[in-house]
Amino acid sequence: MKIIFEYEEEKNTGHLQKEEEEDVCIELPDDISRKELLPIPNVNEVDVVRHYTNLSRMNFGVDIGFYPLGSCTMKYNPKVNEDAARAEGFSNLHPLSPEVCTQGSLKLMWELKEYLKDITGMDDFTLQPSAGAQGELLGVMMAKAYFRHKGEKRTKAIIPDSAHGTNPATASMCKLETITIPSDPRGNIDIRRYRESLGPEVALVMLTNPNTLGLFDENTIEISDLAHKNGILMYCDGANMNALLGITRPGDQGFDMIHLNLHKTFSTPHGGGGPGAGVLGVKSFLSEYLPVPQVVKRDSGYSLDYDCKKSVGRVRSFYGNFGMHVRAYSYIHSWGTKIRKVSEHAILNANYLQALLKDTFDLAYDRRCAHEFVLSSRRFGEKSALNIAKRLMDYGFHPPTIYFPLIVPEALMIEPTETESKETLDRFVLALKKITSELKEDPEMVKQSPLSTPVGRLDEVAAARRPNLRWRPSQRTNQSGSE
Amino acid sequence: MDYIPATEKDIKEMLNIVGVTSINDLVRDFIPAFTGKMNLPQPKSELELVRHMRGLAHTNKILRCFVGAGAYNHYIPSAVSHLLARGDLFTGYTPYQAEISQGTLQAIYEFQSFICLLTGMDVANASLYEGASALAEAALLSCSYTGRDRIFVKERLHPQYLEVLQTYCEGAELTLTDRIDNDTACVIAQNPDFYGNVENLHYLAEQAHRVGALFTTCIVEPTSLAILEPPGKYGADIVAGEAQSFGIPLSFGGPYLGFIAVKDFLLKKLPGRICGMTTDSRGNRGFVLTFQAREQHIRRERATSNITTNQALMALAATIYLALMGRSGLTTVAKLSYARAHLLNRKLEKAGFRNLNSKPFYNEFVVKAPRSAEELASRLLKKGIVGGVNLGEDNFLICCTEMNSIQDIDDFVSAVAGD
Repeated sequence: MKIIFEYEEEKNTGHLQKEEEEDVCIELPDDISRKELLPIPNVNEVDVVRHYTNLSRMNFGVDIGFYPLGSCTMKYNPKVNEDAARAEGFSNLHPLSPEVCTQGSLKLMWELKEYLKDITGMDDFTLQPSAGAQGELLGVMMAKAYFRHKGEKRTKAIIPDSAHGTNPATASMCKLETITIPSDPRGNIDIRRYRESLGPEVALVMLTNPNTLGLFDENTIEISDLAHKNGILMYCDGANMNALLGITRPGDQGFDMIHLNLHKTFSTPHGGGGPGAGVLGVKSFLSEYLPVPQVVKRDSGYSLDYDCKKSVGRVRSFYGNFGMHVRAYSYIHSWGTKIRKVSEHAILNANYLQALLKDTFDLAYDRRCAHEFVLSSRRFGEKSALNIAKRLMDYGFHPPTIYFPLIVPEALMIEPTETESKETLDRFVLALKKITSELKEDPEMVKQSPLSTPVGRLDEVAAARRPNLRWRPSQRTNQSGSE
Repeated sequence: MDYIPATEKDIKEMLNIVGVTSINDLVRDFIPAFTGKMNLPQPKSELELVRHMRGLAHTNKILRCFVGAGAYNHYIPSAVSHLLARGDLFTGYTPYQAEISQGTLQAIYEFQSFICLLTGMDVANASLYEGASALAEAALLSCSYTGRDRIFVKERLHPQYLEVLQTYCEGAELTLTDRIDNDTACVIAQNPDFYGNVENLHYLAEQAHRVGALFTTCIVEPTSLAILEPPGKYGADIVAGEAQSFGIPLSFGGPYLGFIAVKDFLLKKLPGRICGMTTDSRGNRGFVLTFQAREQHIRRERATSNITTNQALMALAATIYLALMGRSGLTTVAKLSYARAHLLNRKLEKAGFRNLNSKPFYNEFVVKAPRSAEELASRLLKKGIVGGVNLGEDNFLICCTEMNSIQDIDDFVSAVAGD
């Protein structure tokens, strides 16, 4: 496949009227005017459309097939939500339009917050953070501000070893030291070690629940109680909220804050790596630290409120990834009061797969799982998780998350989601079992896989050793066309 | 509506395999069980949903827009949204498995290239959330590289960007300073600035470099780069900002597209994903995520940033937009935006407005109105025009793009001129 810069210079399609039609005279001083020709190519629309259509054919998405990427909740993204977000009234609305023009958007945001409060058991929400990691960052900043106002200096965060890497990375961005707590043999946080680590220097506990092993921590209530007795805030990484809808609420489990990934639980598309939306919910005593502006409902209509003296400020421009709010809102409206069914089926699908696979592989923790579970392929030797993942592509599946969580050797982390049929799950099990026999009968072939993909295994070492991170005009072999 | 394919028969068989009699048996340990009633709407059919969402969208009013200030109303060629809607790109995730993610990966490589070519920088990442937090990441990067903790910001940075910078600084225990000295980690300047002023910032880069600080240019309206000197030419070490102008709808403020580009020596300090070209086992060209040892999923508390999910789809939109517009199209956008803004400014000056720009401007400018801002805004609103951002003291920040026709401009002027 060519890259876009390798096309021969072509006649530009001309999406706008030519500037010659108007008397355009640019009177910019020489020292600020571009001197070199703008080094981007002119390619005709037909070739551009074919180029990106062909690129799309080299990609795998939920629309192509089963995508059990653990921790990422790759469920089906309903098409009707796309239409909603693309409606002209939403997509062409400037964020600084006067409020008489924005009542529809503000109403949507306000109602979305109300729904999320109910679903999580929290008292207030901000829709501003752009992704889960930014929600976390905001949460930790708010925790710091809260303790500052209380006159307490707390410098540490308690994080289990099964946590997403973002948790410790976020803590350290905010100059908090991480205390890592190991997991116990049932996959819960080691409660004895946890107790020992509590103290007046700890600001917050960051817990994912169910955790990344797909297990609901059996000591959740005790963990929260112990934290609160020590004046510590409980932060929930809500990446796994898809297991809890209507079943139990983090707010009732003792969490003071939770971020939700709208692109996971609430089905907004992952877009090849974003945009996400990492909305943050809090208990009422933290409300005043939320970022500005907040959407409020007044007698006169909906409005943006900037008046909050204790607010930590903004974490981004404008009001968040509004287009994602529209999709999540639309999704919640499609399920409405029946939303519990989402989690029930996510959990059923995961347990079904786990039951069918637990004898073929080693089950990291032999318990009923939540919406995902972690297998270990250690009995098939080193690098077996990688080799199995690559071979799965030849069977038309996206591989599970591999080598995470870090505490399970040769980990395969499988999250089927509720939108997959039993027939799909059965085919996936068959493929995995077939691959395990291939590993015994023809291990070399498996190591060479995938065999049917647009490219074979890629040389990551070379990519890092001789970095080529961008196209340069000097790379052009057939220089042609000039203006 | 219900997106669950399992039939009653399937459910029974699956429960049987799992060894329980009901789904409720699987969630008994999830405590405390929620037994209340959620205040959620009634479930809707697709038809009901379409009506409901359409109704909400119609409650908004889309008027003729002369507002910029960080979100720009540019024309988006039809092909952008058609290509973007392809499920293979749209419904994938971070390309951890490169063999089946070459579409996303190559598009990221092209995006990184476009950003470098436009800014005159060496290397760019795969995108950040949006402009303001991208700038904050540039500040964090500078502090990490220099081992210093003070940040100097030139006047007339977008006020929301400044607020975000303050929030991040508070969290990361960094300080905003009004001096450039030996403790300064970075010097930040927006160009064109919040009032639309353009200048050659070479002198500021020199000032920064003299004390060992990094110089960051913040770009909020990147179509300007089609006709302006790229920051790489006047000494920027980092360029960070917003690329919403490139084919991304206004969408009430998001999702937008943050970007960051640096000179080579800062590569290993870059936050977020980076895509690189390599070869596969068959000797063909291919693309992978690279330098992942900087990132949170490997390095955890020692990562360069916590960023994980970025704005890949928006980066794809920008890439397709730039490919479609090409050199000629993008230059036309810039020239028309410039020309329309200057035309409106001239006409307003004739109508008694006073231009307050201290330097040449691109497509945004500030005028002092001859009468109260509130009155003008309401006169414009009556004509279906959102006439700019009221900066207080009857000063207006006005923006034009190629979307503002000459008729719109005449309507604007006739609405505000005279008594």
